[in-house]
Amino acid sequence: MASFVTRRLIAAVFVLLAATFLMYILVSMSGDPLKELRESSAPNKLELMEARTRLLNLDVPPFFRYFIWLGGIAQCFVGQCDFGVNVQGLPVNVLLQQAMGSTLQLVVSAQLIAIVVGLAVGITTALRQYSGYDYSITFASFLFFSLPIFWVAVLLKQYIAIGFNDWLAEPSIGIAVLIGISIVSGLLWMSVLGGTGRKRLTTLAVATVSTGALLAYLNLTGWFSTPSIGIVGVVLTAVAAALGVTAISVGLKNRNALRGSLVTAAVGIALYYPMTWYVFRFMTLPLFLGLAVLSVVVGGAIGYFLGGRDRWQSARTSAIVSVIISAVIALEGHLFYWSDYFNSTRINGRPIATFGSATPNLGGNFWVQGIDTFTHLLLPTIAIILISFAGLTRYTRSSMLEVMNQDYIRTARSKGLTQRTVVVRHALRNALIPIATIIALDIGALIGGAVITEFVFGWSGMGQLFQKGLQNVDPNPVMAFFVVTGLLTVIFNLVADLLYASLDPRIRVS
Amino acid sequence: MRIRRIGAAVAAVGVVALVMSGCAAPTAESGLDKGTSVNVAWNQPFYSYNGMTSFGNATANANIIYMTMDWFNLYDNEPKLVKNTEFGSYEKVSEDPLTVKYTIKDGVKWSDGTAVDAADMLLNWAANSRSLDTPDFDPAEFTDPDTGEFTDAFPKDIVFFDSGATPDSGLGLVHDVPKIGDDGRSITMVYETPYVDWELAFPSALPAHVVGKNALDLTDNKKAKDAVIKAIQDKDDKSLASLSSFWNSGFNFTELPKDPDLYLSTGPYTISSFKADQFITLKANPDYTGAHKPTIEEVTIRFIGDPLAAVQALQNGDVDVISPQATADITTALDGVKNVTVIKGAEGTYEHIDLQIDKSKNGTFSDPKVREAFMKVIPRQEIIDKLIKPIVGEDATLRDSQIFVPGAEGYDDSVKANGSAAYAEVDVEGAKALLAEAGVTSPKVCFLYSSTNPRRVNEFQLIQTSAALAGFVVEDCGNENWGGLLGTPGAYDASLFGWQSTSLGVTSSGPTFETGGINNMTFFSNAEADKVIKKLNGEFDPEKQIELQKQLDKLIWDSYYGVTVFQFPGVTAYNNKIDGVDPSILSPTIFWNIWDWKVAAKK
Repeated sequence: MASFVTRRLIAAVFVLLAATFLMYILVSMSGDPLKELRESSAPNKLELMEARTRLLNLDVPPFFRYFIWLGGIAQCFVGQCDFGVNVQGLPVNVLLQQAMGSTLQLVVSAQLIAIVVGLAVGITTALRQYSGYDYSITFASFLFFSLPIFWVAVLLKQYIAIGFNDWLAEPSIGIAVLIGISIVSGLLWMSVLGGTGRKRLTTLAVATVSTGALLAYLNLTGWFSTPSIGIVGVVLTAVAAALGVTAISVGLKNRNALRGSLVTAAVGIALYYPMTWYVFRFMTLPLFLGLAVLSVVVGGAIGYFLGGRDRWQSARTSAIVSVIISAVIALEGHLFYWSDYFNSTRINGRPIATFGSATPNLGGNFWVQGIDTFTHLLLPTIAIILISFAGLTRYTRSSMLEVMNQDYIRTARSKGLTQRTVVVRHALRNALIPIATIIALDIGALIGGAVITEFVFGWSGMGQLFQKGLQNVDPNPVMAFFVVTGLLTVIFNLVADLLYASLDPRIRVS
Repeated sequence: MRIRRIGAAVAAVGVVALVMSGCAAPTAESGLDKGTSVNVAWNQPFYSYNGMTSFGNATANANIIYMTMDWFNLYDNEPKLVKNTEFGSYEKVSEDPLTVKYTIKDGVKWSDGTAVDAADMLLNWAANSRSLDTPDFDPAEFTDPDTGEFTDAFPKDIVFFDSGATPDSGLGLVHDVPKIGDDGRSITMVYETPYVDWELAFPSALPAHVVGKNALDLTDNKKAKDAVIKAIQDKDDKSLASLSSFWNSGFNFTELPKDPDLYLSTGPYTISSFKADQFITLKANPDYTGAHKPTIEEVTIRFIGDPLAAVQALQNGDVDVISPQATADITTALDGVKNVTVIKGAEGTYEHIDLQIDKSKNGTFSDPKVREAFMKVIPRQEIIDKLIKPIVGEDATLRDSQIFVPGAEGYDDSVKANGSAAYAEVDVEGAKALLAEAGVTSPKVCFLYSSTNPRRVNEFQLIQTSAALAGFVVEDCGNENWGGLLGTPGAYDASLFGWQSTSLGVTSSGPTFETGGINNMTFFSNAEADKVIKKLNGEFDPEKQIELQKQLDKLIWDSYYGVTVFQFPGVTAYNNKIDGVDPSILSPTIFWNIWDWKVAAKK
């Protein structure tokens, strides 16, 4: 194992050296870094050109300049990385730090959501193979896969930002739209849940009517201008979460686990008023994170102590329920300030932003800042999700289908195990092995920044660093970008290999 | 059983909660800022408060500095140079030797309350003339090749101001330390040789007391000012070395610095917040007493690189004013936006086609007749119709002068007289006749342009097709590295690129058209033109300057130098809740009258 890792790491160093060398030569030969100065009619242009030449060592041929650059990078080993300066004379170290920060902010939540949604949809499509639902998702994911992101971004801005903001000025859903949404939702539920003809019809009817009723209620109460969840919403989601999570995780037959999650739900509901009345007013980021951790611990503890024989299963179930309820209550905390935010002089009733990562000079407490981050992250996150989602659902679906057709699944079925046990415990675990590799590699690629997404949404992350550097024929920022992404790719490749070996006992690294 | 009991408990909790739902939870103060901003989109982030160094020399910086620093003069949108007497006055005391006196008005202050005075101007002179720099010093020897920063071996008594000034032009001609007068509010500078663009030579100043405090480890503003004056007057190399090093790099920042001294202002606005790569906010300067009192309290410049993103941001109300790079797509997109005013106009850069008079690849254009023939078949109007009109509409016009900026005084008269009218339309027959006269058939033209710029590729194709009609064989010498090839002997026969006009200074045409000038890429040499340029460089009377420029313009067109084609199209769009946006062709384009912008009365 150790020798495997060492060998891989040594190989990685050579790969990186060769790649950076190639990249450096390509970038420095991609154009003329003095072009804009040559076009200038400034009287001191010779001096300006000389200054830039001096700054970027343009008098040294690219082949040797690479080694000057490499010398700076080599100082990383003594803890003093030096990525050089860009064409404007700013240190690339600082630029890289700023870029990494904003890229992480952009990519982390998008990737998490894409993984959760992608896995869930992939599994359900595999279970409902060749159903209407499966075909629609297949169609949608191929569509998303082939959409150019700059175009998606323009559409998102036009409809989710500009159109939605216009709609928010007088938010109400027309009758025709309401009926349309209800029917679509009914059809969706019907094809996901499946079953016999009669069951399908019932699902369709129930889902259509309840969606329609919910929308009509929200419409009439003016919910869209003053959104809130309220205690009713919290109770409903808490009970639904307790039942749903238990059903999927351990099955409703496991009475101990069910008891644990219901108690967790009750505690969550009971905490709604104390939290919103006394705690939320003093919210800060550390407190928020502390409460989040606490909710996991408390949920886990409740499950553990009420768990009976399978304590850890029950603890896991209750912990998930607890996280869901906490998230709903936290969302409520944000919604308290929605109308303040909405009517603020800086927002002027147009909350969804088309670019940037924050409203300038907004001010505001923890909750308002949270809303602001959300309204800025919304569009780029959707754009990234749409693209990653497409791939993930396809991979999950095919991997799941392959596993579901294995002999041992048939054996499990013939033993009389429930559908849940077969799917969750026997099939899903094995289906996840190849997915883990894909996700590991995906993360490496994503931290490299979504070049186009960042550009069109005005996020100055890694992608921008790369793109601007290339535009100015400025090797140093491009190389900083390349070193980070190259390193991550190599590392995550290694991680994926190790992960594979630890998940699949048939594979051994040596 | 127990499940049922727990279920009951859940229900009970639910019911109690439901009863309580009548009361709303008390919320804390939202803490939202009550101010409003006018948001302007710009494509590049601000990065240096010193726009005079080779680093800081960029429009993104110049815009901000323009709004925060008052100065003796500025360009309006005609364009014309206007004096700002509320800041101070300047006058030419004598013509030979050229002596200029700058006096700052009593009571003009930096935003920290310190007076703006001779110390600031003196440091500004030292930095932008480089007259006190250590002679023959080559900083390359002491520059860390990795970072571009100076190494520890950098001599402590070397003075090096990174302003790129040269001793034979502009402020560099003022070699002696200017004299201070009027209780320390004025300085008098003596130019070594006459310099007619003296009004443009002295750029806006940075606070000397801040440079002094930081460079010389002082804490008192008054003492710092005195120390700066003393260092300059005594030519104390040790102090000047630290002053120059702080001046070179101390004002570069990419987010709001901790030390507020680094962003002092004298102008209508002060920087109030700055987030890296996102936005920079300027607030009206409460202590401003000058002529350009703004009505808009707060201006935020948000950095958006993508032009289409800027249009959608305008549509969504994220920004109020945009000035994106003009393309046909952008103007089409803008046409569909409601409640927005779109101004289509021109930018400072102009496209032109130069013919290599000497040292060309094929020697085609050594014969003036062949040059004239080629100029006759350049489809200037077609280029405008096909490439520029889709962007700015019917207002697109040819630029017909090699010297004058359209709109500036003298342009119209010069265009009438300089003979450019002969090349307004393609004249194939005339060109054929000229070629026959010159006795050449199928002359080869190696045509240099930027192969990565789609507009220039299109222009090239139009020219190639049109010139072929008269028998020219136009070879595609387009190159992505065209900038480096400019002026290379034997590399090409004709070139297409843009010159940027940054001022109306009369001396700027010299380097392009005089024999051996640094921007003379065509090896153009005309004794008469040289004579006019020489006269122009010594003529102080604006009327006579224009006369000489007209002569020069005609001489250039008459020698079949090449043609100018169009001024780069520019587009500005703003939300109708703002009034008074009226962009200028010269930098700082949309910002030149920021103080006249108003929030429109609600309709």
